[in-house]
Amino acid sequence: MAANFWTSSHYKHLLDQEDVDMVNPLDKEKGVTVEDFKLIKMHMSNYILKLAQQVKVRQRVVATAVTYMRRVYTRKSMTEYDPRLVAPTCLYLASKAEESTVQARLLVFYIKKLYADDKYRYEIKDILEMEMKILEALNYYLVVFHPYRSLSGFLQDAGLNDLSMTQLTWGLVNDTYKMDLMLVHPPHLIALACIYIASVLREKDTTVWYEELRVDMNVIKNISMEILDFYESNRMFTDERINAALHKL
Amino acid sequence: MAELDPSKKVADRYLKREVLGEGTYGVVYKAIDTQTGQTVAIKKIRIGKQKEGVNFTALREIKLLKELNDPNIIELIDCFPHKGNLHLVFEFMETDLEAVIRDRNIFLSPGDIKSYLQMTFKGLAHCHKKWILHRDMKPNNLLIGPNGQLKLADFGLARIFGSPDRRFTHQVFARWYRAPELLFGTKQYGPGVDVWAAACIFAELLLRRPFLQGSSDMDQLGKIFAAFGTPSPSQWSDMVYLPDYVEYQYVPAPPLRSLFPMASEDALDLLSKMFTYDPKERISVQQALEHRYFTCPPPPTDPDKLPRPAPKKEIKESDLNPREGPTVLSPPRKTRRVMPGRDGLEGSSLQGDKVDDTHSNRKQAAGENNTGKNDPAPMSLDFSIFGLKPPNRPTINSDPLIINDFNQGYLTITEIEIVDVLKAFSLMSSRELEELDHHDDWEKKTDEYLFKFSFT
Repeated sequence: MAANFWTSSHYKHLLDQEDVDMVNPLDKEKGVTVEDFKLIKMHMSNYILKLAQQVKVRQRVVATAVTYMRRVYTRKSMTEYDPRLVAPTCLYLASKAEESTVQARLLVFYIKKLYADDKYRYEIKDILEMEMKILEALNYYLVVFHPYRSLSGFLQDAGLNDLSMTQLTWGLVNDTYKMDLMLVHPPHLIALACIYIASVLREKDTTVWYEELRVDMNVIKNISMEILDFYESNRMFTDERINAALHKL
Repeated sequence: MAELDPSKKVADRYLKREVLGEGTYGVVYKAIDTQTGQTVAIKKIRIGKQKEGVNFTALREIKLLKELNDPNIIELIDCFPHKGNLHLVFEFMETDLEAVIRDRNIFLSPGDIKSYLQMTFKGLAHCHKKWILHRDMKPNNLLIGPNGQLKLADFGLARIFGSPDRRFTHQVFARWYRAPELLFGTKQYGPGVDVWAAACIFAELLLRRPFLQGSSDMDQLGKIFAAFGTPSPSQWSDMVYLPDYVEYQYVPAPPLRSLFPMASEDALDLLSKMFTYDPKERISVQQALEHRYFTCPPPPTDPDKLPRPAPKKEIKESDLNPREGPTVLSPPRKTRRVMPGRDGLEGSSLQGDKVDDTHSNRKQAAGENNTGKNDPAPMSLDFSIFGLKPPNRPTINSDPLIINDFNQGYLTITEIEIVDVLKAFSLMSSRELEELDHHDDWEKKTDEYLFKFSFT
């Protein structure tokens, strides 16, 4: 989507990392740690993606839905806003906001198909009720920007838009949605970090190109490190740990 | 249930007054903000009965208005849920440009026209700067506040644009304001469509009647070509490739001066640049604002001093008394939008009401307003005293849905609501819905990538 990012609510509402990692006091009482918090959000991002694949919505809807979900938990507790309901509702709301509506009953159908567990069971009316609460939690700000568009522009500009680089960087950007990066950094910097990682991996020399961009390379490198850290720790994110974290709620 | 409390607190902040009208997706109330003393308009969005949560059109409006902040765009002050319905709080606007144009007691000086136009263009320029197309520009959607400020409203059809090759539906705008490329069925268009509509509003301010009143899409094109001449391929090279292109008989353009005998040279020059056929050649709204029309005398009138319809009286019991003479020429309220209830489509009760309403005199109509929720409130001017029928203003996509024709243009059904309604009755498959707004290959590609590649 092309709209003016610098004057958008998205830009104005970017947060500091500390604010993003704040576990809500209500959740803290239940013993939820920062690690649990991150783990649950990652699990819910995957849940949104799985549901989205079933109902067949556009990629942008998924990205927007995950962003909504992560924004909600910078303001609300998981105790009061059950992630297992918030995740599908964010997908529902994002599908409308991104003009590719999915019917609530379709979501409910696939939720049942994906998870036999009763804790995931929610009905249409639950989703519709939660939709209103999520709108409120988002303070009705719905326009979200994503790295994909700037990514293709950058790749073209750097002359790296071959299939292999495109696929690699695209996959990296997809994976950034398993983190809170979009709450902290503008999307074009996330795109640049993904290109940076990919060019190191594929041994492409992009030093000159980055210099010409006149962006703060420290920020790009920090984002890249965060992404690499995520891949590193990802191996330890087992289902048991996720379930244990969810169980605390 | 615990959530009810905070929302109730917000709802208590506003002191609900009378109903202002039935909006596209719910009732609009006048209310007082007890914290600021400000008068506001609250749109209540019905959710309870619908199975699809917050209305799609309402959501679009919320989404875009939260990003737009300009003196010439309606301000969305607040949103809050209450009793299962979503409420949107807008600044209160007294009237709209259509009421000004139609009010025969009002004389508009060239400075007045310039002022109304400048405010319209400024609001539109702000939208375009933020890559938002309004897609429903018409005098009725240009609201006028207590201090004479004009503000763009009704963003229920607006969209973010700017993605290359992005395809949109061409069924936007009320027909009289539709650009020729839309009438020829283009799916790829840009801010030029809003500029064309703004030019129609410009013309309407000069003429004091809608400029190009086509009765169908074909007729609309005919009216356009009669006014500006049939475009030649050299004037508009892409025309012949448009999806619904049909060849029209050649008509030469009459001199623009003959259509607008009272307009200044500057006004005519700007009009001709806005009414340019080729959307690529058409002036942008920002360029229009910089046109000498706005800098040369007379200066635009100060908004405070702009002529507006006489302040409308508050409805009192006595106004509804049928024994008083039929003096209500300018009824106290005007319904901006009337939308039949979802249930209205199933039965004919709605139709009965409307027919009655148009035949009865105004007093009775006012009386009936207390009972029938869907009764259209009278428009701001009673045309019957002139022995005229009010022009039947076409609305978006009114061709296939002529069910409202008997209602003399009081109804507005937007494209989105037709979709909502059809969806509610499951007449439309999700595939067809999908096709309403086409998307480009870029997005398909991203879908593929998303589902194929992930490293975790």
